[in-house]
Amino acid sequence: MSNELKPEELEPIEPVTAGLPTAPRRLSAGLRVNIRGRSIKLRGLKRQPKGLMRWLLILGPGLIATSAGNDAGGIATYSSAGAEFGYDLIWVMIVLTVSFAVVQEMCARLGAATGRGLLALIRERFGIGWTLFTVGIVVVANGGVTLSEFVGIGAASELLGVSRYISVPIGAVLLWYLVVYGSYAKVEKIFLLMTLVFFAYPIAAFMGKPDWTAVAHGAFVPTIKLDSAYIFLLVGVLGTTITPYIQIFQQSSVVERGAARRHYGPEKIDAYFGSVFSNLMSISMIVATAATLFAVSGSTKIESAADAAKALEPVVGSSATTLFAVGLLGASLLAGAVLPLATSYAVSEAFGIPKGVNLDFRRGKTFFSIFTTLIVVGAGIALIPNVPIFPLLVGIQVLNGVLLPLVLVFILLLVNDESLMGDLKNSRTKNVLGWGTFVMITVAVVVMLGGQMLEMFGFKLFGN
Amino acid sequence: MIMLSKLLSFNVFDAENRCVRLSDLSVALLDSDYPPITNIFFEMNKKLMKVAWKNVQSVNLKEKKFIIADLDSAEEVSLAGKNDYVLLKHEILDALLLDLENRRPIRANDLLIEKVDANWLLRAADNSIGAILRRISFGFYNHVGGNLLDWKYVEFLRGNPAAVSSGAGYHLRITRLPPGDIAQLINYLPYLHAAELLTLLPNEKAVKTLEVLPLERRLQIFEELDEAEAVGLLALMAPDAAADLVGLLQTEMMSKYLGLLPKKQSDRLIELLRYADDTVGGIMTNDIAFLPENLTVSAARTRMRESFGTADFIYLIYVISDERERTLRGVISIRSLLSEDDDRKIGEIMDPYISTLSAFDEVNAAAYRVVDSQLAAMPVVGTKRELIGAVTIDAAIMQIAPGTSAETLRIFS
Repeated sequence: MSNELKPEELEPIEPVTAGLPTAPRRLSAGLRVNIRGRSIKLRGLKRQPKGLMRWLLILGPGLIATSAGNDAGGIATYSSAGAEFGYDLIWVMIVLTVSFAVVQEMCARLGAATGRGLLALIRERFGIGWTLFTVGIVVVANGGVTLSEFVGIGAASELLGVSRYISVPIGAVLLWYLVVYGSYAKVEKIFLLMTLVFFAYPIAAFMGKPDWTAVAHGAFVPTIKLDSAYIFLLVGVLGTTITPYIQIFQQSSVVERGAARRHYGPEKIDAYFGSVFSNLMSISMIVATAATLFAVSGSTKIESAADAAKALEPVVGSSATTLFAVGLLGASLLAGAVLPLATSYAVSEAFGIPKGVNLDFRRGKTFFSIFTTLIVVGAGIALIPNVPIFPLLVGIQVLNGVLLPLVLVFILLLVNDESLMGDLKNSRTKNVLGWGTFVMITVAVVVMLGGQMLEMFGFKLFGN
Repeated sequence: MIMLSKLLSFNVFDAENRCVRLSDLSVALLDSDYPPITNIFFEMNKKLMKVAWKNVQSVNLKEKKFIIADLDSAEEVSLAGKNDYVLLKHEILDALLLDLENRRPIRANDLLIEKVDANWLLRAADNSIGAILRRISFGFYNHVGGNLLDWKYVEFLRGNPAAVSSGAGYHLRITRLPPGDIAQLINYLPYLHAAELLTLLPNEKAVKTLEVLPLERRLQIFEELDEAEAVGLLALMAPDAAADLVGLLQTEMMSKYLGLLPKKQSDRLIELLRYADDTVGGIMTNDIAFLPENLTVSAARTRMRESFGTADFIYLIYVISDERERTLRGVISIRSLLSEDDDRKIGEIMDPYISTLSAFDEVNAAAYRVVDSQLAAMPVVGTKRELIGAVTIDAAIMQIAPGTSAETLRIFS
C-alpha cells in the first residue's frame, strides 16, 4: 500500500491526437437534381469520371485484341517488310487500318447488341456444321499461334540474357494464374498495362533516324512490285493484321465487359482507337527496320522477330535491340494470354458452356480447362529443343488464311441481320468497307495459297 | 420416338405425288409440358409455306414422308411478328436452353419428338455429343443415348424481353426455383435473355433475383426492362439495393424513375442517395424495424405485423424514444419479442448497450466494425443520435470482400 501513488503524483495523461483526423472528412460535391419539384443534392450517384480518366476507362477489349495482333509473328512480318522493302509497304498499313477498324468495330457492335460472342451467333444462325468447321480451325490455328508466342517469349528473354527454360515456364504460370484467379476487370487492366511495351517500337524507330520524307512517300504513294517476295510479304502483312482470333476476342470480351446496346458508344471508340494504335505500332516496326537494316545494308532477309532485334544491334547499338526484345517479350506475353482465351471463348460459346474470366474455376471448369491445356501444350512444345517451328507456322498461316474470309462473311451477315442488331445494323458505308475488306482479304488469301501450291509443283507466279 | 435431326430429312408429298423438302416444324410452347407439333413448313416457289398438323394425313417413317392432301392448300407465312408458335429448327435447335434440373444453360444439339395418339409431342432436348455426331454423320451414326433432358424441365428463351408481354409461350417452371439459383442461371445468360427471364418471373421473385445479382449485371439487365416493369421492380426492391441501382442510371432516367415510384419508396431512395459511396450512409439500408420504448410487448407484436411485415431487415428491432424524435435507446431481438410477457414494456426488455455508426463514418472501418461485432446489423444514427438506418452484415462483407461471391450477399436482408 505504501507504494500506492496519490492522484496528484500521477503523470498527467496527454490527450491522444496521433491518428485522429485533423479536419472533418470532406464530402463529395454530389449532384443537384429535381425530383417531383424538389431540388435535392445527391452524393451517392456513381458517375463516370471526367477528363483523361474517362478516356482511359473506355479503353479495353479493342486495344487489347488489336495489340495482341502485334505478336511474335506480326513483329517478324512487319520487320521483314521494313528490312526487305524499306518504306514501300507502309501504304498497305494505312489502307489496312481503315479495314481493320471497320471489322473490329463491327465485332464490338455485334457483342454489345446481342450480348453473345461470335461463335454463339454462328451456331444459332448458321447451324452446327459451320460451327464445328470454324471451331476446329480456331482450335488448331490458335493452338499453333499460342505455341509461337511461347517461342517468342523464349527468344526475347534470351536476347535479354535469360534462358528460355526459365522464362517460358514462368511466363506460362503467370498468364495462367492471372486469368484463372483474376476477375475480368483486373485482367483487363493488366493486359492494358502490357500494351505499354509497344511504345518500344516507335522509340526504336526514332533511334534509327529515318528519312521522314521517304516515310511519308511510302505511306501515301502506293507502290506495287510484281515480285514474289513483295507480293507474299504484302499478303503476309494483310493476314497478320486482320486475324480471326482478334475478332473473336474483341466480341467475346465486349460481352464479358458487360457492354450493352445502350452504352455502345465507348466500345466503338475503343475498337477504333485500338486499331489505329496497333497499326501505328506496326508501322513503327517497319520504319525501325527500314531506317536501319534496309537503309544501311539494302534488302535484308529476316526470319523471325528475334532475328530483327539481333540484326539491329550493329546498326543502332544494343539499346535498340533491347527495346525490340522488350517489345517482343511483352507482345508475346499479351498474345500468349489472348489467344488461349479467344479459343476458350469460341469453344464455350459454340457448345453453350459457361464461360468468362469472371467465373471461378468451379463454375467455369471447362472454360478454364481449355485455356490451361493450350497454355501447357504451347509452353511445353516451345521448350522442346530444335522443334521445327517454321513449317508449323506455315501450316497455321494457311489455316488462318482459310478461316479469315469465312469469319468475315459471318460477321458481315450477322451485323446486317436486323432481327439481331435492330438499329445497330450496318450502315451502307460500313457494308461497302466491310465487303471491300472481304474481297481484299480473299484475293490475298487465294494469291498466297495459290502461289504456295504452284511453288510446290515448281511454278512461279511472279518474278523474283 | 424420333429425333428432329432425322425428321428434317423428310419430304412432304401430296396426293398428286408432288414433293417438296420439309424445312421446319413448329410447336405451341404454351400448350402443355410437352408441346404438340402444330404446323409443318416447307419452301415452294421460293416462298415459305405452312400446313397445319391436323392436315397431315400420315407420316411414313420408313420412306421419310409427310403426306398431305394438296401442296397448293399450304398457306404462305412470314416469320416476322409471329407469336403463336415456335419453330423447332429455326428457333430451338442450336439455341440456348435452360436445363432447370441441373441449373445450367445448354445448347439444343437435337430434339426428341414422340408420337402420343394423334399428336407428335416435343418430349426432350438432347445436349450430348452423340447428338452432334448424329447431325454431321449423314445417317451413319444414329444412336440415341440416355442423356436426354425432359422438356418439362427445360425453359426456352427467345433473347427478346418484349416477347413476354407480346404473348409468347413459356413453361414458367423457372419461377419455382429459388432466387439465388435463378440469379446463377442469369449470370450465364446473354443480357437480353437474362432480361427476358427476369420479365417472366413474378415481381416478388424478380426483385429477389435482381437484388443478388452483381451491381453491373443488375444495371445491364434493368435497362432492358420496359418502364412499367422497371418501376414496379424498383418499388418492391430493398431500398439499399434499389438506391445502388438508381445511382448508376443516367440522371434523366433516375429523376424520372424516382418521380414515378410510390412516395414512400422514393423518399427512402433519395435519403440513401444523399450519402456518398465511401460513407456508411452509402451501404446502409433504411427499411428497418423500430419500436417506441413505451410500447408493451403485446402491442409491439401487433405493430410489427402491421408496419414491418415487408421490412428489408427485421432480425433486430431497434428501440427508439418516440416516433417524432426517433432517438435510439436500445435493441431487442425477435426472440425476446416472442418470448417475453405481453404486459412488459419494450424499454424494460431491450438491451441498452448498443454500438452505433454515424452515417458519415468512413465505410471500410465501419464495415470491419460490423463484422467484428458478430451482429446481424449495426444501427446508424444521425448527429442527435436519431435512428436513420442500419448496416447489415451482408453489406459489410460485400464492402470488405466484394469478390467473395459472384452474387451479392443478401442473407439477412
